[in-house]
Amino acid sequence: MKESEKSKSGPGGPQAGGGVKYAYYPGCSLHSTSFEYDRSFREVCAALNIELEEIPDWTCCGASSAHQVSRLLAISLPVSNMLKAKEAGHEEMLVPCAACFSRLKTAEHEMAKDPKTKAEVEEILGKKTGHAIKITHPLEIIEKIAASKDIAIKKKSGIKVACYYGCLLTKPPKVTGFDNCEYPMSMDNILRKFGFETLDWSYKTDCCGAAFGISDPAIVKKLIRKILDNAIELGAEAIAVACPLCHTNLDVRQPELGDEKYKIPILYFTQLMGLAMEIPTEKLAVSSHLTQTDTILKRV
Amino acid sequence: MTKDYKKSAVAGAVAVIGGGVGGMQAALDLADSGIKVYLIDTLPSIGGMMAQLDKTFPTNDCSMCILAPRLVGTQRHPNIEILSYTDVKGLSGTAGNFTLAVNRKAKFVHDDLCVGCGDCWEKCPVKNIPNEFDYGLSKRTAIYRMFPQAIPNIPVIDKAHCLRFKTGKCGICRKVCKANAVDYEMKDTELKLNVAGVVLAPGYTLYDSALKQEFGYGRHKNVISSLEFERILNASGPYCGEILRPSDKKHPHKVAFIQCVGSRDSENNYCSSVCCMYATKEALIAMEHAAGLECSIFHIDIRAFGKGFDSYYERAKQQGVRYIRCRPSAVKESPKTHNLSVKYYDESGKMKGEEFDMVVLSAGLRPPKDSASTAGILGLELNNFGFCKTAQFEPVKSTREGVFVCGPFSEPKDIPETVMEASAAASKALSIVYSQRGTLVKPKTLPAEKDVSAQEPRVGVFICHCGANIAGVVRVPEVVEYSKTLPNVAFAGNTIYACANDSLEKIKAAIKENNLNRLVVAACTPRTHEPLFRSAMQESGLNPYLFEMANIRDQNSWVHMKEPEKATQKAKELVKMAVAKARKLQPLKPRTMKINPSVLIIGGGLSAMTSALDLAACALEVHLVEREKELGGNFRKVKYLLDAAKPADKLAAMVRSVTANKNIKVHLNSHVNAIDGSWGNFKTTIKDGSGKTTELKHGVIILATGATEYKPVEYLYGKDKNVITQLELESALASGDFKAGTVVMIQCVGSRNTEHPYCSRLCCSQAVKNALAIKEKNPETEVYVLYRDMRTYGFREEYYTRAREKGVVFMRFEDADLPEVKQSGGKLAVTVKDAMLKAPVRIEAQKVVLSTGIAPNSDNAELAQLLKVPVNQDGFFLEAHMKLRPVDFASDGVFLCGLCHWPKDSQESIAQAGGAAARAAAITLKETVELDAHYAVVIDSNCDGCALCVNACPYKAITLLEYAKDGMVRKIVEINPGLCKGCGVCQATCPKLGVRVQGFALDQLYSMIDSLFETEPATGILP
Repeated sequence: MKESEKSKSGPGGPQAGGGVKYAYYPGCSLHSTSFEYDRSFREVCAALNIELEEIPDWTCCGASSAHQVSRLLAISLPVSNMLKAKEAGHEEMLVPCAACFSRLKTAEHEMAKDPKTKAEVEEILGKKTGHAIKITHPLEIIEKIAASKDIAIKKKSGIKVACYYGCLLTKPPKVTGFDNCEYPMSMDNILRKFGFETLDWSYKTDCCGAAFGISDPAIVKKLIRKILDNAIELGAEAIAVACPLCHTNLDVRQPELGDEKYKIPILYFTQLMGLAMEIPTEKLAVSSHLTQTDTILKRV
Repeated sequence: MTKDYKKSAVAGAVAVIGGGVGGMQAALDLADSGIKVYLIDTLPSIGGMMAQLDKTFPTNDCSMCILAPRLVGTQRHPNIEILSYTDVKGLSGTAGNFTLAVNRKAKFVHDDLCVGCGDCWEKCPVKNIPNEFDYGLSKRTAIYRMFPQAIPNIPVIDKAHCLRFKTGKCGICRKVCKANAVDYEMKDTELKLNVAGVVLAPGYTLYDSALKQEFGYGRHKNVISSLEFERILNASGPYCGEILRPSDKKHPHKVAFIQCVGSRDSENNYCSSVCCMYATKEALIAMEHAAGLECSIFHIDIRAFGKGFDSYYERAKQQGVRYIRCRPSAVKESPKTHNLSVKYYDESGKMKGEEFDMVVLSAGLRPPKDSASTAGILGLELNNFGFCKTAQFEPVKSTREGVFVCGPFSEPKDIPETVMEASAAASKALSIVYSQRGTLVKPKTLPAEKDVSAQEPRVGVFICHCGANIAGVVRVPEVVEYSKTLPNVAFAGNTIYACANDSLEKIKAAIKENNLNRLVVAACTPRTHEPLFRSAMQESGLNPYLFEMANIRDQNSWVHMKEPEKATQKAKELVKMAVAKARKLQPLKPRTMKINPSVLIIGGGLSAMTSALDLAACALEVHLVEREKELGGNFRKVKYLLDAAKPADKLAAMVRSVTANKNIKVHLNSHVNAIDGSWGNFKTTIKDGSGKTTELKHGVIILATGATEYKPVEYLYGKDKNVITQLELESALASGDFKAGTVVMIQCVGSRNTEHPYCSRLCCSQAVKNALAIKEKNPETEVYVLYRDMRTYGFREEYYTRAREKGVVFMRFEDADLPEVKQSGGKLAVTVKDAMLKAPVRIEAQKVVLSTGIAPNSDNAELAQLLKVPVNQDGFFLEAHMKLRPVDFASDGVFLCGLCHWPKDSQESIAQAGGAAARAAAITLKETVELDAHYAVVIDSNCDGCALCVNACPYKAITLLEYAKDGMVRKIVEINPGLCKGCGVCQATCPKLGVRVQGFALDQLYSMIDSLFETEPATGILP
């Protein structure tokens, strides 16, 4: 599904997306383990008239490996992708994966701040970079649209959701520059608009253990237990996420925690939005998770 | 130098903006010097932030109890006009002749009609408005007064919540007001005030803790700000002093304090200076209120740099306050219990999670909310942090001539520094306006004093609740009823706060209605409140000395708070004794004394010269006595400062001004030999190097003798030439002969140890200053600073940050792990156990720089004896009150400033010196003063000159006279009225009834004792 689908009668109305065409950088995860994030994101954008164009021939952003090896490589990889988007005629690029977002934002920041780095990167890439394109997380765009328009939701489900942003989206604030770094609200504001009740809780930006899920799962279990406990104690019926790795850790490890209570559905915020907009569940791939999502599906 | 203001063009008044403790001090100092003052506050009551505090550190004085007399004194001062609920709109003109436009907001209650009875707010149907004074922890009505001691005691209507204004329907307050003071049609009124100068004292705003979202303030109910906790601790606060947590009103068992919330971070790169101590105080007071309460303070450094602070900190540690050196990254709430978990690294470096019932955020001090617009209106500049900009060496001058500033508006600071600056600002304003003194001042008109000598005593008794302070323990109504049974009591009643203006009106009304001629108030303490009740007597046409006070709070309800039964009985007995004495009271007349208008300043350094120039600017004569051969003192050794200012230039300019000033007489190479006489009329003998003595006559004394650098004996100082002090380093850097590849600085040499238990306050900033200077000269030089707590308070923090950015390495060591300096083969090496690494680190250094402390002068004790003033346990001179009287001694007419008071930097010395000048001017600008009528008189017929009393007198007020009469040598004692404090030691010592203390005569005291034991009065032995 490389071409964006245009929905003529989405809940946001024909002008919701403002008619701007965004470059879309899915990153490796959204093309593989978290394909449901990609699908639901595209569906939601179509419904809100946000036009997307996946940038041609994109490469890996460097993710968690590149910056361990070389600082310049970790900047050059994102910049080369940004240039591809620019060459395709874009000025702004949406990056849903929190890790990709973090890497691209870091590159954007370093290039703008440090002329020496910029020169070095240009030498590596063998071309001038010119002015930078803007890197944006979908939460920022959708929050604005949700706030500016009367989104027509047929039924407010009132499902209690704990919005989990993870640690990469908002930090460091000087680099990411969106929402409040310690207690963000953009996802909450969006989901409230779509009929969910979001909770005030203490673990919005705590770390889930990230890549330790592979090298030392015990750490991940310790961390997610705290996150899940707080959400469950507050009566959350689902946890909304915006990061493939957070999703994996929270979703996959629950059965290993050894308690019946750990069966809380973990959904991408785009999936919840899609459900509220009555987009068919298969298009949102809501049944592709390890933790059952039936309880939610029944109630939306 | 001060400009010469043309007398004819100078206005006779000064405006003080902000009615907190600083504004009141400036207003009182100016008013005492005969200047008309407009005291302007945007809120309905003056009092400022101090009115909201529970206690004050390091003495744990009740904040309101020490503030209330000031509030009332300010209101009662005939030269002060309070414009409350008033905003400043514009300032035109120039220094000496400004026009200040102000807007008096409509209170909807007429000041001149309202008596503050409270009927309106008691009947107001809107009762659920969050009370700002308690930070929303309690509720208030739509017509309200801020707090019970509010000055003026006039309510205002909160239009946004009032039903009348919202719906047009209510109107109860107007209906119930018997004084017809409520007026819904009232409009704002604009005033234009002609003033010679403006003193700004708008205070500060507390940092909004909600901005630090990681701590959950505003989301977690049991996470509160430090000022909210202050209100919770307070007996008149939302929970009547009981420590409860907001979520469930249950007693917390564990409270955590998190320091530096909104201070010392990347957005607020300054230290708020007061939070370490207020958190320590709040923890101590909370533990006093609730036995078994555990308090933990999470901090970066503990900055106990003020007078008595380190010993207070040590005491807190001993009493079980836990100090944890870690800044938690987040506070998480447990959904069920609303307990809060805090994650931190403990001493051993292990990550810990701990649950608390309550978390108090030690929020920092921000500039006042509307400071940007105030600055625009007044035409001043603000600094990078949004505080009022002042220049180095001019701590109370704003960027606009004639507009002065004091208190936290220029930099976060504590109460005493605010009071010093307030007096200094008054001093600066006075130098513009002094020629106009008395021109706008109306003498207070009092009713003629009634002669009651022939009347049978008719005693009125008032028992004060003092909120819950007394009434929470003593059954006040029972004491009132009991009082009615005492002889000669013609009236007895109660008051919620006897000191509040409405109560004073009630007392005056009772005097009138019942034709009373004696008054007894049973309340807090005469120490602070007696003058207030005496004034009420005068306003009722009675001699003020027909008043007696029974101390049923400080000496009863506070000390017997767990024994209400016995405390009630004791209150009755104290009242009975007071009534017995009141029946015997006789009218007394205060004495007047002529004042010599010149000032003696002891010392010749920065502080002494600052005071001298301020006083000379008011055309007062000054004698400056300096023991060295040149002026300048310790300031001569200061080569540069943290900012770009040049101390040498400042010193040279000052010396030139002092030497050239015709009002200042400089006595170099001289010291004080003897001081005779008393305040108002001192006679001091000074001696110069050649042994020549000179007698000086003067009215007051300012002590500004400085202090000395501690000369180290540790760390090979004196044994290796590469071990030097910071001052020696500074001198080497200034002359350009400093070179070293690696420098190690060691902090707290001669401070915070057994010999000198106090913090010397300056050394951290001095080390940072010199480290930066080294890095500037040669960025390659490695600089290590070994410290225990970095105490770069206020804006000094910015330089500490800069030093770290420049690569200066700061290493902390524990108190028990002092560094070691060793030398072998001509090479120096420092070994220190790094508190973070928990491992020894060895640094080879070309220079070891010792940050030596400040020691009191060795002759302080001697000087103290000459001046009859006290020194504290550390050897520094002790002021009259650590919070509110930081430049006064307890003895009248003697003031202090600079390093002899406590270690402080040049800015702070200048401020305190200005303060001392204002206090001295308030006396010397008067020709005569009135003295208390309680003093000892000699009964010539009984005194045989045995002189037992002479040495007994603690004020050295008594001298023995010998004279010839009828060819015989007779002896008799004479008492100096200026020195006598009426303490009564002479009366108690005299075996022959030869002395009588007015107001404390033996017959009066005996009657008290007799009444206590209900025996018949002893007769026949009294003079």
